[in-house]
Amino acid sequence: MTTGAIVTSRAHPASAAIIEQVGAIDLPTKRNEAWRYAPHAKLSQLKFGSAAHDSTALDSTTLDSTTLDSIPTLDGPTIVIVNGVVDQSRSNLSSLPVGLSIASLAEVANNDPARLDRHFGAAITDAFVANNVAFGTDGIVIDVADGQRIEAPIHVIDVVVPGDTINAFCSGVVIDLGPRSSATVVETRIGANNDAAVVGGSNIRTTITLGANATLEHIVLQDLPANQIQLGAVEVTQAEASEFRGRSFNLGAAFGRLAYRVELGGDGARTDLSGLFHGRGDQVLDQQITVVHAATNCVSRQSYRGVLDDESVGVFNGGIDVLAGANGTDAEQSNANLLLSNRAEINTQPRLEILADEVACKHGATVGQLDETALYYMRSRGIPADEARRLLINAFADQTVEEVGLETIKAWVMHRLGHEHE
Amino acid sequence: MLQVENLTASIGGTPILKGLDLSVGSGEVHAIMGPNGSGKSTFAHALAGRDGYEIGGTVTLDGQDLLAMEPEARAAAGLFLGFQYPVEIPGVNNMYFLRTALNSVRKARGDDEIGARDFLKIANEAMELVEMKQDFLHRAVNAGFSGGEKKRNEILQMAVMQPRLAVLDETDSGLDIDALRVIASGVNSLRGPDRSMIVITHYQRLLDYIEPDFVHVLVDGKIVKSGDHTLALHLEDHGYADFVNHDLDGSGRPLSGAAS
Repeated sequence: MTTGAIVTSRAHPASAAIIEQVGAIDLPTKRNEAWRYAPHAKLSQLKFGSAAHDSTALDSTTLDSTTLDSIPTLDGPTIVIVNGVVDQSRSNLSSLPVGLSIASLAEVANNDPARLDRHFGAAITDAFVANNVAFGTDGIVIDVADGQRIEAPIHVIDVVVPGDTINAFCSGVVIDLGPRSSATVVETRIGANNDAAVVGGSNIRTTITLGANATLEHIVLQDLPANQIQLGAVEVTQAEASEFRGRSFNLGAAFGRLAYRVELGGDGARTDLSGLFHGRGDQVLDQQITVVHAATNCVSRQSYRGVLDDESVGVFNGGIDVLAGANGTDAEQSNANLLLSNRAEINTQPRLEILADEVACKHGATVGQLDETALYYMRSRGIPADEARRLLINAFADQTVEEVGLETIKAWVMHRLGHEHE
Repeated sequence: MLQVENLTASIGGTPILKGLDLSVGSGEVHAIMGPNGSGKSTFAHALAGRDGYEIGGTVTLDGQDLLAMEPEARAAAGLFLGFQYPVEIPGVNNMYFLRTALNSVRKARGDDEIGARDFLKIANEAMELVEMKQDFLHRAVNAGFSGGEKKRNEILQMAVMQPRLAVLDETDSGLDIDALRVIASGVNSLRGPDRSMIVITHYQRLLDYIEPDFVHVLVDGKIVKSGDHTLALHLEDHGYADFVNHDLDGSGRPLSGAAS
């Protein structure tokens, strides 16, 4: 696999068949639990297509350069994907470290399609997975060789520039870590055009495979414009004693949906998921989390915090599936929420299915408001009401932000929330 | 400095303060004593501006109408309330909280903000005053503090804020004798000609350490008796019985234990 130039090309053979099916797969409805709180009217306005097959849909020169100014700057390889297609001119893959290879998904599909069987061969669970498989003909494939520890964070930036005929785009991110290797991947998801009348969105599917003893920190920053929709799916398969740290910040978009499915397939694997969702206006921010314990002595943690203002709606649907024989499972889940307005809403639901013995499973959810007594205490010390509120929200959100290993990302998130770090 | 005239406060239609008058001059220390439920804490919070009271009367601090101000503006005007029950704020660093408080007040007064380095000097001096260790600053505000640590933290804040008028609400409650001594010595070192204090307490014990210029007895929402510090000693011996359910002004009856 080459690491330099990226070429876009035709899709994986599997996608052709899927394209045939897409019309036949119905959009999810309110009766589908995993899509119950989605704004279905807005979803139906998305017009998916593939920029790779329709040159009018990809005019990345219209991408306002300021769009990219608002995101964190990391000092590692950078891949920019515009409307589902890798934009070589904006990407920076010079001097990749030994053991790291990065290629476009289209290129891999062309040269080595079997390599993507797992990515494209997933079960079609709903219309948007089908969409992604059908139209997600490009994206990025990241490989870390056995035993290699990649220090610099790899930054994948996905930008939507909604067009008139096609306003929603799909892409794929494939991350494979060989045994005993480690890496950090940051996926920043944004969009251009803040015009409230312009609807659009992105559907991004990430498939991650961790070899034995491999460690990945994977961060998703979801910050699409207020009129756009993000549909994200992260599917992780872990071999024995591997460690996955998944951090998500679900901040932008009219509807931001991040669905994780982590399969602990090797003994002693560990997964640690945490996230913050912070909604304003009429945003709907949805986390659909499932961790499957399919091997013995695995550890999983889910820790999600929601801050919901105005009329925003938060969803936490967290599942722990312990399969038969997965003895020694240690699984915990928590979801804490702060409602800043009496019109804001949180829907939190644990789903536990335990088919093994010798299992330790814990789950808990809380919903609260800003502590009025604490606000008064701070104000009595001269701190203005707005600042006091900010400090309390900051303190609540901070516990999630602190989980992130990258200082740049921590600072960016706090700045984005208007809660500068001290 | 502080003028309180006919102050009334009620919660949900239930009157608690029923026409309280008090005048505090510059540099004076006034103790307010009273039985449980007499309105001592309500008086403190009415001064500080807590929500939830229906307030009447007038309160001026250095001529400014205190009752018209938000709590933060009262702090900027020079008022400080030491809480009977200091509030725990998990996740907010004590030093950051203190510096934000001090700079908020300075900003409101049109003064320059104080940088981190200069602030540390101020904080360290204040910490010596209440015999606190450095790690105190790096913990979350009051979170997991012992009762004594919380009260020390109140006096630390007072030392940093350098208020014009400090109202200390039951600062002695829940303290052992060593902590009481430390806190009282901190308070005493903050006494000065430009700073007044109102020390609210149920027991006379605190006044052995912080000798007030005036003592007032608050009963049923009104000050029913004022005197010098010997009044506190009388209360210590005889309790509040003399002042409860009696018409003090009319009877001319001598106080319990007084020579007849």
